[in-house]
Amino acid sequence: MPCMEAAFNLAFWLVRSRPDAEDIVQEAYLRAFRAFDGFRGGDIRPWLLAIVRNTAYRWLSNRRRSGTVVSLEEAFAEGSGQTADDIAADEPTAEERLIGAAERDYVLRALAELPPAFREVLVLREIEDLSYRDIAEVTGVPVGTVMSRLSRGRGELRKVLTRLLEKDEPNAM
Amino acid sequence: MQCERARELLSPHLDGELSAEERRVVAAHLEGCRACSAQVHDYQRIGQTLAEAGREPAPKALSTRVRASLAREAQGEPVRISLFGKPGRAGTLSMLRSLTRQAAIIAAACVLSALAVWWTMSNLGQQQRLEQDVLAAHVRSLLQDSPIQVASSDAHTVKPWFAGRIDFSPEVKDLATEGFPLVGGRLDYVGGRRVGAVVYKRRLHIINVFMWPSASPGDTAPRLLTRNGYNLLAWSRGGVDYWAASDLNGGDLAQLQALL
Repeated sequence: MPCMEAAFNLAFWLVRSRPDAEDIVQEAYLRAFRAFDGFRGGDIRPWLLAIVRNTAYRWLSNRRRSGTVVSLEEAFAEGSGQTADDIAADEPTAEERLIGAAERDYVLRALAELPPAFREVLVLREIEDLSYRDIAEVTGVPVGTVMSRLSRGRGELRKVLTRLLEKDEPNAM
Repeated sequence: MQCERARELLSPHLDGELSAEERRVVAAHLEGCRACSAQVHDYQRIGQTLAEAGREPAPKALSTRVRASLAREAQGEPVRISLFGKPGRAGTLSMLRSLTRQAAIIAAACVLSALAVWWTMSNLGQQQRLEQDVLAAHVRSLLQDSPIQVASSDAHTVKPWFAGRIDFSPEVKDLATEGFPLVGGRLDYVGGRRVGAVVYKRRLHIINVFMWPSASPGDTAPRLLTRNGYNLLAWSRGGVDYWAASDLNGGDLAQLQALL
């Protein structure tokens, strides 16, 4: 099956549950199958990932209605305001703190804490290595928005990571 | 450049999505600004960690499960989706229902044929896969320093070299006087098996002749195919399948085939 690994990864990072991600991938491939006439040719990956993403968001909003999750807008607002710029230049950088830490665990934990709108662009960029144009196609926003979300997403990720590392190593440096 | 402005550009800078001018300005700023360059380093390190962590691995059974649900869908059987409820069914009139069903089957057949194209990418037909393999083996041999493991223009050196390496004795001829000097031989891997490759030259063109024992008896006449600008000539004779691959023109390739 084309792109199944990428599809599962994106679904997993959006809904943060393996069984739910499986259901979403199955549903998305059915939708892709039904909508295959709409595929304009070219690289199939962005087209397919866009369907996976929409399916995942639909699932998330269904769940929100049952009151277990905050809305995208709320999630967005929550992270606004401060950015990584607030970290003073003289403090140890995340890179310095990361040395010797279980780096991967921290980064993945930090990514999981970000709002989905940041999480998805980071997953598509850093793990799937998609271009801004392809990310724009998957997420249905202009390239400029992809650029600013990635920029903010990276800043947020760094901030959360720094917080996690500080919390676990209060005496470091 | 101010840090504030530079920081907006750090992320696209890392992704190579800036114009040449912006790239130059950001690079100059990073030279002199410790805070911004620390930030870029963090971004890089985090990105690298994410890339190394890789994808959340998909369960093995998922592909089978999705395939099964697509097959049911293709048979015109609406697949019930647990997440979002049932897809709509036809009205109460049974005639209408059967018409809808027929339409669904026809539509599914159309979609299925379109999908066949899609699947070609991940699941080539056996014949195509063989063509692909031969082409790949040929191109790979050109990319390496030398397309051969035993270098000799003497058929009596090359032919015995294959003994014990493959389970049949390949046809090796020195055709220098006919304009196809023998370069040598090597082992290769085509169609899921180890095959003999005998390399000839025609002027500056390299020709790989791949050979392996036929699955079916009987000779077949040469077929010429063109793939990615290369000519492939396939034939079988005396219980051996031959595939010649080269950027040589079809006529010269056919001439070599006649000589072998």
